[in-house]
Amino acid sequence: MLEHQTHSPQRPTRAVVVGAGGFVGGAIAQQLRNDNVPMLGLTRRDVDLLQDSAAKALAGLLRADDAVVLVSAIAPARTAAALMQNLVMAGQLIAALAARPVAHLVYISSDAVYADAANPVTERSCRQPSTMHGMMHAARELMLKTEAKAPLAILRPSLLYGARDPHNGYGPNRFRRLAAKGEAISLFGDGEEQRDHVFIDDVARLVSLVLAHRSRGELNVATGQSASFHEVADLAVKLSGKSVEIHGTPRQNPITHRHFDITECLKAFPQFHYTPLREGLERAARESAGVPL
Amino acid sequence: MSVPIVGFAGLTHLGLVSAVAAAAKGFRVVGYDPDQSRVRDIADGHLPVLEPGLDNLARCFGAQLSYTHRVGDLNACDLVYIATDVSTDDCGRSDLSDISSLIEAVIAALGPSALLCVLCQVPPGFTRKLPLDPARLYYQVETLVFGRAVERATKPERFIIGCAEPARPLPAAYAAVLGAFDCPILPMRYESAELAKIAINCCLVASVSVANTLAGLSERIGADWHEIAPALRLDRRIGPHSYLNPGLGIAGGNLERDLATVLRLAEATGSEAAVIAAFVENSRIRRDWVLRLLHREVLPHKADPTFGILGLAYKENTHSTKNSPSLALIANLQNWPIRVYDPVVPAAVVQHPAVTAAPSAIEAARGSDALLIMTPWPEFRTLSSADLAAAMCGRVIVDPFRVLEPAAPRAAGFSYFTLGAPLFHSAKDL
Repeated sequence: MLEHQTHSPQRPTRAVVVGAGGFVGGAIAQQLRNDNVPMLGLTRRDVDLLQDSAAKALAGLLRADDAVVLVSAIAPARTAAALMQNLVMAGQLIAALAARPVAHLVYISSDAVYADAANPVTERSCRQPSTMHGMMHAARELMLKTEAKAPLAILRPSLLYGARDPHNGYGPNRFRRLAAKGEAISLFGDGEEQRDHVFIDDVARLVSLVLAHRSRGELNVATGQSASFHEVADLAVKLSGKSVEIHGTPRQNPITHRHFDITECLKAFPQFHYTPLREGLERAARESAGVPL
Repeated sequence: MSVPIVGFAGLTHLGLVSAVAAAAKGFRVVGYDPDQSRVRDIADGHLPVLEPGLDNLARCFGAQLSYTHRVGDLNACDLVYIATDVSTDDCGRSDLSDISSLIEAVIAALGPSALLCVLCQVPPGFTRKLPLDPARLYYQVETLVFGRAVERATKPERFIIGCAEPARPLPAAYAAVLGAFDCPILPMRYESAELAKIAINCCLVASVSVANTLAGLSERIGADWHEIAPALRLDRRIGPHSYLNPGLGIAGGNLERDLATVLRLAEATGSEAAVIAAFVENSRIRRDWVLRLLHREVLPHKADPTFGILGLAYKENTHSTKNSPSLALIANLQNWPIRVYDPVVPAAVVQHPAVTAAPSAIEAARGSDALLIMTPWPEFRTLSSADLAAAMCGRVIVDPFRVLEPAAPRAAGFSYFTLGAPLFHSAKDL
């Protein structure tokens, strides 16, 4: 549930994106530039949050009227070591904010914080992560809620896709790339699992809205329309215009689905509309091909 | 013994309806409320609540009824009911401060052998703590239903009576009053009776929650809940009067209060009550059914629609807007103009930057792109789909409670959306 502190949107004095070099952070930084928001994008080259000196260095870059967007993470965090590193990074940011308080803080978390059984997922769903990655985000959320003094907004995206995603995980990104190369798409089972796939630009637009309203609270980033991996693969092949085989494989795990109830987003941002899956895949394909959007 | 005189302290919805019902059974009734202007209005025949049949009954038995703002006038009564409505906050918690001060004043005014009966909704444990001889102190479950209050007050299914000693016969005056209604009388411990009231409402919520859950599923798998519900009602284990109509969540305040009370007591005592929390969440999700529908089926296709909204009350035949789904929806339609009409609730209750108060249902529909029938008032059933088609700009009707016969708007070219059935799209709706 988000609560807007400014009902009419106001451009932040400056937004600082911590982790602007990544897939998500880069998209957010680009969106803020498009929206003419004064923006400072920080990458690991600017401030390495794993270094002991990071808090001091970051504090030196911050101003009291800044809105900070924390995207930086070692993700996906699959090991205990990665979990601990991510917590260290969050700790450095919290120390920086203690030395230099800011006006607003936005944290990009993940829907992995929710229990697998949550259905449909809402912002009120039980947070009971079953993965190291989910536990990492849940722990970081708690750290920020407990120690950061600035109004805090937590955004929890579902599965993201977009042209610049460096990961080639099972789903829209991999399917689109395989289809573009004319290579076969292999599904787990018959790809029956339904997931909510979010186009990367939508996350960025929502962050911009959250900053403009100085919102605090929690918001899931999901379209509310889940699709099966088979449907996504079919769509990727269709959009590629190529003849690509889609084949199933023996199922190793039971079928699970994830759906979202996005009512809170409809209430928080009534004029915001998510990019439909087909349109998002088309835009990702055009961007990958270097075709102007 | 002579016919007892019955007092009712608190002339809000519960007290007024109960007082009139007692008068209709032949008792002399004294209605007391500390609000002098309220008492004057009631005495002049201007009743502050809307209930079918109430005005007429109050007129017919007016000779039996007297109203007063002086608490001392209750001194003549053999039995006094504490019958004021207990308000709740947004979390469903009762504000017991008013009732406590009312009880204190009434006890001070009671005759030496007069009985006191708490009729309003109080949490378990409340009655036993009151400072009155237990032999003179009772709690009685009320099952008032907004819109059907007179029927239920004059023809109760049973009386559930909380007592200090359930095995002891009821005092003659109290037995005489209850006996006039000719229904079973069930004495039990105070706490049992107080919890019985909550148990009744929890059972109702359970039925509604089942209906809402399976109606939602019906919408997605091609079933129609309205075909299923009659079959369930023929099952003796479920019953013909069970609450199986899907709705937009729990509203009105009373059911929400009881759910909150159970959750609070369960937390305090370590009792398991996860299902009650699930009812609350189910209600919250169903309340926004229309909002989600509009964002999925209307707003992506029409940039700046005007919505016609029929009904502001939380249900038909009442002026109450407590937790009204209509007002909850309107709070989230602030970016688009709305035209509203309710037979009894004035449009002034609506907080919206672009609201037009329409004088009738058809005028609310006029010029709208989508019509939302948010309260199932009987008069909306007479709306002609042809008239709506002529008046409206768009061809979308959202009718959660199936006020209209679905075939008519569909035949008139409307996309028609109702709870518990698959979405019906016309060829061209906006």
